[in-house]
Amino acid sequence: MATATTVVTSNRFEQGLTYGGFLAAATVNRDRFEQNYNNPVLTAEDRIFFQKASQHPDGPRKLLVIAEAWCGDVYRELPTAVRIAESAGIDLRIFLRDENPDIMDEFLSNNGKSRAIPVFVFYTTDTKYITHFTERSASAHAGLALAMEQARARLNLPASATFGNLPDPARREFLLDVISRIEPLADQWRRDAVKEIRQLLASALHLSDAA
Amino acid sequence: MTKDRTVADRGEIPIVYTIRGCDSCVKLLAKWDAEKVVYDERRVELSQATLDEARQYGKLVPIVVWPDGRVEQGFGDSFGCFI
Repeated sequence: MATATTVVTSNRFEQGLTYGGFLAAATVNRDRFEQNYNNPVLTAEDRIFFQKASQHPDGPRKLLVIAEAWCGDVYRELPTAVRIAESAGIDLRIFLRDENPDIMDEFLSNNGKSRAIPVFVFYTTDTKYITHFTERSASAHAGLALAMEQARARLNLPASATFGNLPDPARREFLLDVISRIEPLADQWRRDAVKEIRQLLASALHLSDAA
Repeated sequence: MTKDRTVADRGEIPIVYTIRGCDSCVKLLAKWDAEKVVYDERRVELSQATLDEARQYGKLVPIVVWPDGRVEQGFGDSFGCFI
């Protein structure tokens, strides 16, 4: 994301896929993208915020997304990014993670070890980096950790139990229990992502009305 | 590794549903290749039909369907990738 060394130039940005192009090229999950796009989580207040942010002199006019259609976090969150861009007149371009490793390398997570997606990167009109959001909100990460804790408690597993150190069938039960706890949270995680993106932009642009 | 789906469908070797961009999938296949495990890999990112097939068994890749009918999801300490 360092502007001095970034590979994301204005010309490169223009080479990204539009959302329509991304969907047309997607071999899987088109139905899930459409379902989440048609079930938007942006509120009227959110739309006003993003419009206001985009009108800021240093505000977002470009939104770069790193994605892959097969990823569950992507089909959950990308339609929200599309709604944000549409609501604020922001140009959104999508880059496939596995075809653009140089861009992905600028936005690694987990101390440079993970290529988590989606990544939403906001830029000014002249492609100066503003801020970015990766994968899911902090509250969603916390929700996942809580689900694991609750599953351990229900299954009488030690606090040290992980997916990696449990033998089957305990591992399988643990995994299914965690999945059952987090699946109903998908829409809440989408709303939390909007809230966190607002906070990121508000902080970067010194706007007073963070969510 | 084998591409012979018939052998897998007869229940003689494990079927593994993967995404090549999924770190957990890559790690599992590297382990199996090192151990010379014979398997039928079915990449869910390549077609909706294969993805739908995998979803009959689980929600996280890698998904392994063993010849005895046991199903495993994810690999190692990682959660795997939601499909």
